[in-house]
Amino acid sequence: MTKRGLSWLASYPKSGNTWFRVVLSAYLGSDETELDLNALQTGMIGSSRLWVDDVAGFDTADLTAPEIERLRPHAYRWSALHDGVAGYHKIHDAYLYNDAGEPIVDPVATLGAVYLLRNPLDVAPSFAAHLAVDIERAITLMANPDASLSRDGKGLNMQLVQRLGTWSSHVESWVNAAEISCHVLRYEDMHATPQQSFAAAFAALGLTVDHAKLARAISMAEFDKLAHLEQSAGFRERPSKAKKFFRSGKVGGWRHSLTPDQVARIIAEHGVVMQRMGYLDAQGQPI
Amino acid sequence: MPAHYQAYGLTISSEIELPELPQVSTLAHPADLSITRDPSLTAAPTGEDWVQLSPFAWTAPTAFMLLVPDVAWFLVENGQTIRVAPVGDIDMASVRVFLLGSAIGALLFQRGYLVLHGNAVDMGDACMLCLGVSGAGKSTLAAAFAARGYSVLADDVVAINNVGQALPGIPRIKIWRDAAERLCVDTGSLDRIRPQMEKFNLPLPQTLVSTPRPVKWVFLLGKHEKPGFELTHLNGIGRFGPLMANTYRRRFMEGMRLNADHLAQCGRFAGLVQMAQVRRPETGFDIDGLVDLLLEDMSKVPSA
Repeated sequence: MTKRGLSWLASYPKSGNTWFRVVLSAYLGSDETELDLNALQTGMIGSSRLWVDDVAGFDTADLTAPEIERLRPHAYRWSALHDGVAGYHKIHDAYLYNDAGEPIVDPVATLGAVYLLRNPLDVAPSFAAHLAVDIERAITLMANPDASLSRDGKGLNMQLVQRLGTWSSHVESWVNAAEISCHVLRYEDMHATPQQSFAAAFAALGLTVDHAKLARAISMAEFDKLAHLEQSAGFRERPSKAKKFFRSGKVGGWRHSLTPDQVARIIAEHGVVMQRMGYLDAQGQPI
Repeated sequence: MPAHYQAYGLTISSEIELPELPQVSTLAHPADLSITRDPSLTAAPTGEDWVQLSPFAWTAPTAFMLLVPDVAWFLVENGQTIRVAPVGDIDMASVRVFLLGSAIGALLFQRGYLVLHGNAVDMGDACMLCLGVSGAGKSTLAAAFAARGYSVLADDVVAINNVGQALPGIPRIKIWRDAAERLCVDTGSLDRIRPQMEKFNLPLPQTLVSTPRPVKWVFLLGKHEKPGFELTHLNGIGRFGPLMANTYRRRFMEGMRLNADHLAQCGRFAGLVQMAQVRRPETGFDIDGLVDLLLEDMSKVPSA
């Protein structure tokens, strides 16, 4: 019997998660399927309020943040074990534990995870545009251990609060996750060797890789094509403040958009993890 | 000594104080619904009759049980009784949030109503429903109608009887601080729904509507990326899916094996109402503009 469960596509924001999901969606679709950015058939986002509400049987809108974090692993477990939910679920939460000591991403529900990783020097300008803030502010957020998404104590967001932590702690939380198996996929490798990189990640997700089909999916999801699709049909995952979701998608764009001070700040804050992940050389210089 | 209340067309005798509900002094007959405390409810039900629906909900042919972790256990039976066991030192406001939400919703299913997730606003001799997912802005919209002097019949849990009428529910709107600020409602004098939350009970006048009102219009509230509002009328079979999608706690309904009845109820109800999909901008939406838009649309299809 094939093992079933939830597969997670985890990342800090702006690290190639959507690109990966587009390729996966194109790969899983039939040959005739045209790409529809607004109907990616990979699975609900892990922080979906609707998902957790449906399983719980009461509204997370009436719960406190710690109560919701206690609920989430149980909701995922029920979905995977009893409702037959499988699929590939984007998630921006860091791999963290609730106050009952349970991983929020329930290991019993989890089949596997791909962690999409991108050079923080490139994340910073992209994250700034995504949030419609200046780059300094994005860099500050990436170094804030209390950073989170969708935290608005005064109102209701359709996404549950997602604790991010710092960029470094986010990476380490997933890469070091003890209870689940996690395949690390670098954005830069998705660019440099797409066929090989996607194939390895798909295999880690338990998919049998058909290389011709994968090549076609990668070609359908070329950056310019996605940007064009967004322009013509919109993209519902674009934050309301951001002008566009598919902005530049380049590797090494930071060399033109960051000041030397900003580069130094990011390296000072994240150098250890950057070095571990191959973004700094032995002398601590960006590669 | 239990106190007596009224909601969803039911007389209620409750050992738990329910300040959200209109009180009645005496009852001529035994109450339709009896709410009691039962500290013996401390574990998941066992026995062949019970089917588990979720990590926290179970159903049997005439009973339904729900645990809201660290808050309370609820046992709802025969559409007539709700037994409640608060957990530990939990505050009673927290218990009431779920008693008057999921537990009462399960009871309304047991009593055979079509139960929808949304709110109902009285328009005189008929009413409108606004349905949609959590976060769509339904409660804010209901509060905006209330601020214009319209009576809100029910918020969150709407029960529809077999002739397509909405029952007057709980005369309050649960409103977040940001929505209250947008509507210039001073939250200083309001009770929080739970002590730790920036969400308040906005009380509504209790006596304006006491009988079921025929539903004439249904608006499905959603969001889109564009500026401004977009209103699209739905016809025929297009009205059916949204009623299924906006069924209150669909998992409960399916677990209670009410699918066949529910399909028939949705089909019948879809034939009685006008329905439109309304999309509003993701952020910064003009709530007064939305009220105007809906009023204008309703004026084109008069209720009489």
